[in-house]
Amino acid sequence: MSLVAEAFVSQIAAAEPWPENATLYQQLKGEQILLSDNAASLAVQAFLQMCNLPIKVVCRANAEYMSPSGKVPFIHVGNQVVSELGPIVQFVKAKGHSLSDGLDEVQKAEMKAYMELVNNMLLTAELYLQWCDEATVGEITHARYGSPYPWPLNHILAYQKQWEVRRKMKAIGWGKKTLDQVLEDVDQCCQALSQRLGTQPYFFNKQPTELDALVFGHLYTILTTQLTSDELSEKVKNYSNLLAFCRRIEQHYFEDRGKVLKKHSRWYF
Amino acid sequence: MAAPLELSCWGGGWGLPSVHSESLVVMAYAKFSGAPLKVNVIDNTWRGSRGDVPILTTEDNIVSQPAKILNFLRKQKYNADYELSARQGADTLAYIALLEEKLLPAVLHTFWVENDNYFTVTKPWFASRIPFPLSLILPGRMSKGALNRILLTRGEPPLYHLQEVEAQIYRDAKECLNLLSHRLGTSQFFFGDMPSTLDAYVFGFLAPLYKVRFPKVQLQEHLKQLSNLCRFCDDILNSYFRHSLGAFSCVNRNQQQTDFGEASLLLDKKRSMPICRNSPSL
Repeated sequence: MSLVAEAFVSQIAAAEPWPENATLYQQLKGEQILLSDNAASLAVQAFLQMCNLPIKVVCRANAEYMSPSGKVPFIHVGNQVVSELGPIVQFVKAKGHSLSDGLDEVQKAEMKAYMELVNNMLLTAELYLQWCDEATVGEITHARYGSPYPWPLNHILAYQKQWEVRRKMKAIGWGKKTLDQVLEDVDQCCQALSQRLGTQPYFFNKQPTELDALVFGHLYTILTTQLTSDELSEKVKNYSNLLAFCRRIEQHYFEDRGKVLKKHSRWYF
Repeated sequence: MAAPLELSCWGGGWGLPSVHSESLVVMAYAKFSGAPLKVNVIDNTWRGSRGDVPILTTEDNIVSQPAKILNFLRKQKYNADYELSARQGADTLAYIALLEEKLLPAVLHTFWVENDNYFTVTKPWFASRIPFPLSLILPGRMSKGALNRILLTRGEPPLYHLQEVEAQIYRDAKECLNLLSHRLGTSQFFFGDMPSTLDAYVFGFLAPLYKVRFPKVQLQEHLKQLSNLCRFCDDILNSYFRHSLGAFSCVNRNQQQTDFGEASLLLDKKRSMPICRNSPSL
């Protein structure tokens, strides 16, 4: 959005409090949604839970097309639609709720840097695995992505999306990477997160921030999604403090509030 | 003695050893870690494919891409991060990701996409250093590659307007520069008194932005207001690159050192040909 439009939206956002009927849209949970989209959606849900803002999750097959930026999830609040975690955090801040106000400038810089690390490495690795690894593409992704649509639309849409993602991978230099190199990058990223987290309950000690929500969204999804092989989740499981971190957030912000994240959660403790 | 390490990269100008960010990152890291690097400037040579520059060549290996080159140097025991704690190592990865996601699109845009900058500065500089007929094709291809990368990672039409994307990437870049400035504070380097990988990356991205003279300068102006980042770049240039600046500067071409090998022979040939450097028909 341009500067003027953003200021305008902020002003409208600030004018009204958070309504009770706010909804979050994502793709169909059981049959359609993919690893990366699920991670993004979970991150937003975790963030909103941490802010104590009520949100209802609605699953629609065409969520990707409804979104203003083409990415899921997006939230519908009042008469505004905002997509992706970054803009949602700004929007929620305009309404007066923020998790990172207590941080000083250097800590805010660190938080933003680590969020970019997750986006740069974890999210890209998830996209690579979903769309560039032939085994996963053939067995899982194609079938899931096109499942709500009749033949031949399901194949066409899946191939189109695959082509788009491959173009992007090539542009950022991941086109020539092998699966092993990608898994090594994931390992490096998890190691960095684990070292930063240390023995603290959250990344910035006592209170969770949007970084915690983002990391939780991605790690939890990786740990509990069944893929063709367990290599990706194995990389995360090497770090026990990250496992404990995910369990803590799941318990505190979801189970304790009566929200079931996954019906048959697979945890490996 | 270690095997000779050769780095192929783009040449320098405006007081910098190299104008290309990635080449500069590797050169800075080599200086910080004490790796004996022989620099081969690929200006005006037919040497290999330029898409992968910088490239490190040893007796049995060819390594491209800064991250891989730095890893390779570390394995050869040239480690600038020896004194960092585990947490500082993690911070390094995070800040490098921040640079690549938030600052790089705007730097690419300033150099390769912004029309005034591209046609008056970037294209003539690169075209004058690439032999004909590649000079007609390669700069255009690099420009399209840069625009492609920005659009694919930030959003393309019809969902986004190009001006919105441009406004957003400059805003992100300015925020990133502010964050870096806050993090650096008054210290000499990002992690205390010794330079490390993160310093090499920040220097590599910031120095071209700081030194190259452009017509359209909004990001440069913003950088110049952050005096600690400017001081950081100047310090590194003065401490680590003072001796080689004479060799690399495009003003002092006549005094180029002989370790450029074949490059200098071709340069001599080129200088006798009446080609105008800033010819628009390039």
